Amino acid sequence: MDLDALGACLTTSACVVTQATSGLIVGMLLFLVAAGVTLIFGVLKIVNFAHGTFYMLGGYVAYSALAATDSYTLAVLAGALSMALFGVLFERALISRVYGSNVLMQLLICYAVVLIFDDLVKIVWGPEFHAMGMPLAFQVPPLFIAGGVVPPFYAVLIGIAALIAIVLGLGLSMTRLGKTVRAAAINPQMVSALGVNTTLLFAIVFAVGGGLAGLAGALAAPVRSLSPGMGFSILIESFIVTVIGGMGSIAGALVSALLIGMVRGFGTIAFPKFTDGLIYIVMIAVLLVRPQGLFGRRS
Amino acid sequence: MKGRPALRDATIAAIALIVVLAIPLFHRSPAFEDFVIRLSAMALFATSLNLLVGNAGMVSFGHGMFYGLGAYAFALTMQMTNLSLPVAAVLAVLITTFAALCVGAICVRLTTDYFAFITLAVQMLFYSIIISWQSLTGGDQGLRGGIPRREIFGFELASQLHLYQFCAIVAVLGLLALRHISASPFGQTLRMIRDNESRTSFLGVVLWRARLAAFTIAGAFAGLGGVLAALFVSGAYPELADWPNSGQAIFAVMLGGINSFLGPVLGAAILLALNDVVTRFTEYYGLVLGSVILAFALGLRHGVLDFLRLAWPQGRRPKVSPEAGDEA
Amino acid sequence: MSGLMTRRTMLAGGGASLLAAPWVARAEANTLRIGMQSILSGPIALLGTSSRNALMMEQDRINAAGGFLGRPIEFVFRDSKGQPQEAARIARELVNSTGCELLIDAEASSASFAVQEVVRDLGSIACIQTNSETSSLTADPKIGAPTAFRVARQGVHDAVAGSIYLAEYANAKKLNKWATCSPDYAYGRDTTAQYLQFFKQFKPDVEVVTDAWPKLGQPDFTEVITKLIQAKPQALFTLLYAGDLSAFVNQGNVYALFAQMTVATPNVDYPVLAAIKNLPAGIQSATRYLETFPNTPANKEWGQAYLKKWNDRPTNWSWQNSLAMQFYEQAIKQANSLDAKALAAALTGMKVNTPFGADGTITMRDDHTTIGYAIGWGQTTPKEPFIVDVKTADWGKIIELETEWKKQQKYI
Repeated sequence: MDLDALGACLTTSACVVTQATSGLIVGMLLFLVAAGVTLIFGVLKIVNFAHGTFYMLGGYVAYSALAATDSYTLAVLAGALSMALFGVLFERALISRVYGSNVLMQLLICYAVVLIFDDLVKIVWGPEFHAMGMPLAFQVPPLFIAGGVVPPFYAVLIGIAALIAIVLGLGLSMTRLGKTVRAAAINPQMVSALGVNTTLLFAIVFAVGGGLAGLAGALAAPVRSLSPGMGFSILIESFIVTVIGGMGSIAGALVSALLIGMVRGFGTIAFPKFTDGLIYIVMIAVLLVRPQGLFGRRS
Repeated sequence: MKGRPALRDATIAAIALIVVLAIPLFHRSPAFEDFVIRLSAMALFATSLNLLVGNAGMVSFGHGMFYGLGAYAFALTMQMTNLSLPVAAVLAVLITTFAALCVGAICVRLTTDYFAFITLAVQMLFYSIIISWQSLTGGDQGLRGGIPRREIFGFELASQLHLYQFCAIVAVLGLLALRHISASPFGQTLRMIRDNESRTSFLGVVLWRARLAAFTIAGAFAGLGGVLAALFVSGAYPELADWPNSGQAIFAVMLGGINSFLGPVLGAAILLALNDVVTRFTEYYGLVLGSVILAFALGLRHGVLDFLRLAWPQGRRPKVSPEAGDEA
Repeated sequence: MSGLMTRRTMLAGGGASLLAAPWVARAEANTLRIGMQSILSGPIALLGTSSRNALMMEQDRINAAGGFLGRPIEFVFRDSKGQPQEAARIARELVNSTGCELLIDAEASSASFAVQEVVRDLGSIACIQTNSETSSLTADPKIGAPTAFRVARQGVHDAVAGSIYLAEYANAKKLNKWATCSPDYAYGRDTTAQYLQFFKQFKPDVEVVTDAWPKLGQPDFTEVITKLIQAKPQALFTLLYAGDLSAFVNQGNVYALFAQMTVATPNVDYPVLAAIKNLPAGIQSATRYLETFPNTPANKEWGQAYLKKWNDRPTNWSWQNSLAMQFYEQAIKQANSLDAKALAAALTGMKVNTPFGADGTITMRDDHTTIGYAIGWGQTTPKEPFIVDVKTADWGKIIELETEWKKQQKYI
């Protein structure tokens, strides 16, 4: 515990700005990664425990695509689209059979997929870690904005994450498609009786949710390592973001991701050795005081 | 009619115990004995979890923390004090029970999904503490140096045969106790709560108290399982208290049958046997296990014992409701 | 009548052996099975796979020379996934059911300690620990076991050697302000503490301005990196390794971290060097395995052979496992037996000729751990041989300080 260091930091504007900025970066990346889980739960009431696998596969596909085409844009698209497709297959072949079942059944199926793909990835790409490396276009020095250091690569990522937050949030609440999708989650028979193809609808939701996870994996690949089993820590952190923010609330996920980012940004100074414990305490506190999450709705 | 089911359960337990204890007299197989030792620990762990999941409808994602706590409490007591093994074991279970009471007190008021999340969060916090408190727990390296004074009532637990016998006896007695609890009016109450909590509360049952009692009991027996696990590895390691281990218990319950008392035991046996056999032939164990789980989830759609009961129903007892709240 | 009996008996026997099959494994009569367990999956699978690669090479070499005691050797590999309960189970299974007569334990962290307990309980099998770098495995009398030996480098040896080199380097370049960034688990904490302890002995005016403790496997190091940069150290010491080191380098590059401070790290294995794109030059690094250090033909030959066979460079774990087999080979010849106690007696104090020794030899001390292996520090370059200007460590000094440290820890 190093509260003196925290005090020193909080009284220095450079420190506050820098750590807050890195907290922002960490938070937005967390949101980008967690958005897929929140969407799928918010709409389908299914916890996609295989979310980490989508993220991992998105990263690996992007890695191979970059090696093949030398274009980072194509690599990211490949990662996102392949996972959108995988999402549809996953939903049609497996998830659709356990709608309405015990949450444990869903957990079981997702876990089976995680196990299978961790091994498949090991077979295809090998057990050692891979690094994609920063694409040439982004190998530039960091920018200085308002006293804070903002690397251009992260600036782009933050932009994309913010865009996704807006599109998803507004899309679900304001567009006709969004409203239909939410209605179908509450009462699929009624919506289907009204002539909407709910099967297609649910497949689309999984495509988007899976695609988001794959996109996040592909976007983060230049700065992170790829290894089989990497999905697990991603799942846990997405889970924490979603629970604190409120299952199914895009705004909630955004706020809680930023909150966690800030806790980490300043927690690393005050509690360098127990930062993750801090996050769990926050999660427990939220669950005790407001179990539906910061922005969640009591069901 | 009253004493009969209890007598029947005790008889089955006695027969099972005699069979298990007799096997080494005919054929010694170290791998089989290791299997039974590990199964004993896991059976207690998974069955105690099912007291919550199957009986009370309380899905706990963090049950592993009590398993791990039992192991650490026991191993630490043995290493740091001069208490004898039975005293240390009882103390470990008591510590775990108390911890379950405290954790339960803050958790049980939450409804299903949130209960699952908060138990997971508490477990992750607990795991974090184990890793950080290196001076006490050894951190990620675990408690090293082995467990001393491994004797109890003439059993020399460093010997595999004695450990096998000891674990079999403890497991059977523990399962019998859990069975008794599950079949008792208290167990019935839990199942009533699971099926229709408002109706049960109108009958005068204080819901949170029943749930807290179930959580505490489940924690206690998980702790007992942890003691056996500590004896097997002769120490205590953080992996025993980690989320994947909680997951193992959940899968054992699901694979064996959530609505059958012996379901978790069977599920644990399947998982362990699968692990032992498959790892001899391939290092791609995940591929095999994942495929098996999919086969169960999509094909059988129920745990094995549940599937068998549905396929061949016994008309012994009149069912109260079509959801079959009773257990065979 | 008798024919029916025989057939029934045969069927019963066949049925019984089918049932028993999962738990009984048969060995070819003459083959000498050696059990090897490690982490073959997950983020640090490299540890297990590079160990296994080296052992396969040793298997070929030893069998070509006639095997052990005239018997061909065969490895039985198992993946414990780093789980200590699984590691304990596997160790027992290898010895009790699979008929292994020797053990190589290539586990790390908690799993290696779990296996050590099994070896101590069984008492009848020799085991060489090849990858666990924690001193207490052999130094702590409560943990050491009579038939267990260790050939892995020790954290405390590296700490002494590294501190001497870094203190010299820091004095030369006037780097007084240091920061540390190590993974938050026992290895990271203990080894960093050891480095700092010895570093302060050689350079008393060193000032640690900040320390960071990311979690092992943490995907995002951003807040840690900005914290480090802000503290304005002149140099950074980090124990991150493998995928974490790669992610840290990539994320650090984004913040131009390496332009702002010198970086020192002991953990740069070949495959890591090759995998990290945009590796900054001038990182002060220890040699985990380097083909050019020791600069002998034997070492180069071994490194080249490994590269040719596996299309990948060897790691620290690779040479350690090779060394284990060299020890077994000599001990078995000397004791003319596979008996654990006889082998233990032979191994204690044994010196082997090996390309990995600083002077061409490595000795197994009385406390069951090795000394004299090649430790060097130099600086990285993006091209072969990846680490240049390598300075050899002073083993006399290493042993002197190790003894002091053991007294402090009350091991002796």
